[in-house]
Amino acid sequence: MADDYFAFFGLPEKLTIDADDLERRYLGLSWKLHPDNFVNAEEFERNLSLERSSQLNDAYRTLRDPVARVEYLLARKGVRKEGQTKQQAPPELLEEVFELNESLEELQMARESGGDGNEMKALRDRLQAAGKSFEEKLAEVDEELTAVCAEWDAAIDANADEAKRSTLMARMNEILNRRSYIRNLVSNVSRELEESATA
Amino acid sequence: MYSEKVIDHYKNPRNVGSMPKNDPEVGTGMVGAPECGDVMRLQIKVNPETQVIEDAKFKTFGCGSAIASSSLATEWVKGKTIEDALQIKNTDIVRELSLPPVKIHCSVLAEDAIKAAIGDWKSRHSESASEPQASAASPKAE
Ligand code: FES
Repeated sequence: MADDYFAFFGLPEKLTIDADDLERRYLGLSWKLHPDNFVNAEEFERNLSLERSSQLNDAYRTLRDPVARVEYLLARKGVRKEGQTKQQAPPELLEEVFELNESLEELQMARESGGDGNEMKALRDRLQAAGKSFEEKLAEVDEELTAVCAEWDAAIDANADEAKRSTLMARMNEILNRRSYIRNLVSNVSRELEESATA
Repeated sequence: MYSEKVIDHYKNPRNVGSMPKNDPEVGTGMVGAPECGDVMRLQIKVNPETQVIEDAKFKTFGCGSAIASSSLATEWVKGKTIEDALQIKNTDIVRELSLPPVKIHCSVLAEDAIKAAIGDWKSRHSESASEPQASAASPKAE
C-alpha cells in the first residue's frame, strides 16, 4: 500500500482528483501520523510514524499536481522509465524548440557582452512573441492531457480491459513527452526575459 | 557531482557548431530527451566513397552531462565508418564520463543523436544517389 499513492488516500486510480477532498484526506492522515500522538509509543512505532509521514507528504505533493499525478501513474505501470523513453517528439517541435533556444542564446550573449540596445530590444521582442506562442502551446497540451485523463477515468469506471488502458497510457505518455519540451522552453524564455529586462 | 571529464568537455566543448543541413554529404540528427525537455543536434559529414565520418559538429541545449556526452560523441565518431559509429553505446559514454544514474538519459541523447544523424545521411544519400539513375532512366522510357 505504501507504494501506491492512490490507495494511500483511499482513492481509486483515477486522474481527476478534487483538490479539497484530497486535502481533507491528507490532513486527516497527517493528524493520525503526527509525532505528538506517538510521544509515549515504542521507538519503532515512532519511527514508523515518521516514515509514513514523509511518504504521506510525497504522496500528497504528487497527487495534488495534475501532471505529476499522470507521471506517477505511468511510472508505476512501467510506461515511463528514466533513460528508456525512445519515443521522440514530433521533429517539427524539436526544430522549433531548438531554434528558439538559439535565439535565447543570442540574447544571452548580447546581454553578457553589453550588446547594442536596439539589437537587444529586437531580440527581446522576437523572443517575447515566440514565448507567448509556446505558452499557448502549453495550454493546448494541458487541455489535451485533461481530456485523456477524463477518458482514463471513464475507462476505470467501466472496468475497461488492459488493451484500452494501455492505449490511453500511451497517449498520455506521448502528450507528456511533448509537454516537457514546451514547459522547459517556456521557463527558459521567461527567465531570460527577466534577466535581460534588468540588464 | 560532475566528474573531471565532464567538466573538461563542458568548459572546452569540442566541435561545437553547425554544417549546412542541405549538403548531401551531411547527416543531421535532431533529438530530445522527454525526461527533461533538453534538445541536441549532431551533424556528421561522411565521405560517400569510404563511408568514413570526416567531420562532426554538435549543438546542445541541455545540462552539463548532455553537453559533455555530445562533445565526446563527436570526438568518437570522427574517423570512424558509419557502421562502426553505430556501435557506440550510451553505456560507453556513461563509463568514459563516469555519469551517475540520474544522468543516464543525457548519454542516451547522444547515442540517439549519432543514430539519427547516420539515419539522415543514409536516407539523403540514397536519394541523391538514385537521382542520376532516375534521370538516366527517363530518356530510355520516352
Ligand atoms: S538533464 Fe536533460 S539531458 Fe541531461
